[in-house]
Amino acid sequence: MIKGGKWIPYLLRKLALFIASVLALSIVVFAISRLSPGDPLVSYYGDRTEKMTPAERAQTMERLGLNAPMHVQYVRWLTGALRGEFGISYKYKQDVLQVISARIGNTLLLGVPGFILTFALALLLGLVCAWREDGWLDRILSRLGTVLSCVPEFWLSLVLILCFSVLWRLLPSSGAYTIGLENDLGDRLRHLILPMSVMIISHLWYYAYMIRNKLLEEIRADYVLLAKSKGLSRGKILFRHCLRGILPSCISLMAISVPHILGGTYIIETVFSYPGIGTLSYESARWKDYNMLMVLCMLTGIVVILANILAQIVNERIDPRIRAAENVEQTEAEQK
Amino acid sequence: MSHEHHSAEPAPRPAPPMEALSGPMRFQVVGRLDMEKPSAAGKRRKRVPWLSLVLLCAIAMGCLLANFIAPGNANAMDLTAPARAPSPQYPFGTDMMGRNIFAMIWHGGRVSLSIGLLATVISTGIAVLYGTVSGTGPVWLDTLMMRATEIFLSVPSLLIVVFLQAIMGSSNAVSIAIVLGATSWPTIAKVVRTEVRQLRSSEYVIASKCMGGRFMHVLLQHFAPNFLSSIMFMVVMNVRGAIASESTLSFMGLGLPLDIVSWGSMLSNADRALLTGAWWMILIPGIFLVTTLVCMTNIGNALRREANRGERNL
Repeated sequence: MIKGGKWIPYLLRKLALFIASVLALSIVVFAISRLSPGDPLVSYYGDRTEKMTPAERAQTMERLGLNAPMHVQYVRWLTGALRGEFGISYKYKQDVLQVISARIGNTLLLGVPGFILTFALALLLGLVCAWREDGWLDRILSRLGTVLSCVPEFWLSLVLILCFSVLWRLLPSSGAYTIGLENDLGDRLRHLILPMSVMIISHLWYYAYMIRNKLLEEIRADYVLLAKSKGLSRGKILFRHCLRGILPSCISLMAISVPHILGGTYIIETVFSYPGIGTLSYESARWKDYNMLMVLCMLTGIVVILANILAQIVNERIDPRIRAAENVEQTEAEQK
Repeated sequence: MSHEHHSAEPAPRPAPPMEALSGPMRFQVVGRLDMEKPSAAGKRRKRVPWLSLVLLCAIAMGCLLANFIAPGNANAMDLTAPARAPSPQYPFGTDMMGRNIFAMIWHGGRVSLSIGLLATVISTGIAVLYGTVSGTGPVWLDTLMMRATEIFLSVPSLLIVVFLQAIMGSSNAVSIAIVLGATSWPTIAKVVRTEVRQLRSSEYVIASKCMGGRFMHVLLQHFAPNFLSSIMFMVVMNVRGAIASESTLSFMGLGLPLDIVSWGSMLSNADRALLTGAWWMILIPGIFLVTTLVCMTNIGNALRREANRGERNL
């Protein structure tokens, strides 16, 4: 079925899956936002709703189309969303997308390098631990890693702030830059150190442990024995063969980890009052800014769905072993 | 070929009516005693996480006996003694409102632990039902339900929780547990579904259904004993996750309000504590929280059957 080419129908199928998932997600998000037990107007006007006169209420309900049945409302919302109209943020009195686009850069600045660093270090740590399985270094790292991976992000952030900002006054404790120094790269970097350390420390071991275990499985494969009897050194086997063997699963692990790490980043941003998407979603939850929260949920969900589909593609198409296995199956089927 | 008593059998068991079987063929059921241990067994010694068990039990007992350890209302404020550092009178110090942190730890631990347990009961219940329906159902239903879990998993659960919390408005321990339970079931449900899928066409399941076994009967009598061991680890991790999420939410001010003491809500004044450098308000509840989480992780890891690894070839 696969045999070389035929990428286009395959990608089209993935695209259909993506659209279906996003649609389903939008239904869920819409349903949750309309589930609010009280007044649907609250999601538009917040506490100001209480001050409205009945006539005003009726008028606004009519104007916003809140009297229409649920599915009509949903279609209306969806068509608006497709045109990029997500409504006005109640808190910021601005178009939702405007508010988000002003902040998304900060989140990317924190998230992308943090994500890459986490996985680079996890790979390194996994290699070190697999190299001497059950050795003293492996044991110490395992213990330490288990403890660190249990520490909730917010508390780790608090402790680091307490040490580095309050007690030793080395690093800034909040924000993305010092006011007046918006374009100073050094200042920006100084503000990134603590949040990014928390991000790396709290996720590192979880993934390093998975990579370690994958490597340990790989080490037990027969080809390793063959390579060893050919006279290859341990290092060469580990780096040239085993590492290559686990790379596809590492990539899909990275893709699957996106929601986990994204969620963590949101919390970290909030603790450090870092002006990004995470802080924004926290604030909109506190101020009951549903329009904003819906868009943020959709945005995050879409990133995660994309990552999942990427993981599937890596698993199904990139990894040559799976393709080979499918080809074998196919020839077997043809022979029958 | 007649079979005599097996010599290794220490004493002949009060066998079922063997005599009823006449003829030369006489079998005796040979129990586990005769089986040789697999050679790999015993190589990896079974590690019982004693330290974690003892610590966790100590914390749990302390929380259960909170009324004896620290009698009185944990919420009692002493406005004359706000933000006192640890001293003989207040072993763990007092917080911004002059509440005794020592008492709050034990009373708050109760709330935190119960939220963890209740949320897990809810999520495991949902997961088992969902997974079994998906696993036993027709293929289209199975596909649909599994796709639904994937979509559910695609939004960071924290965001859903925050969303639900925002909608539910004022919260108490039970509502938080419900929200956390309702958002943390999909991973367990997937495992249950995979196990049930493998079991559903076994003879004993079919036999049970033919004899009129209802859904719940088959689930509890036949499926549950099989998938229990594989979800046990996840269930323990779920308790851990719920406790961690509760504390995160409460810390952010989206969970329990300040006057319901839990380890998380004790930390929700942390930003003010940071400004004054009141380390005890941050470190002490956090250390209890982290210790509990670490102990649970260790116990969970011990529950997870270590994959039976062979010799390394490297």
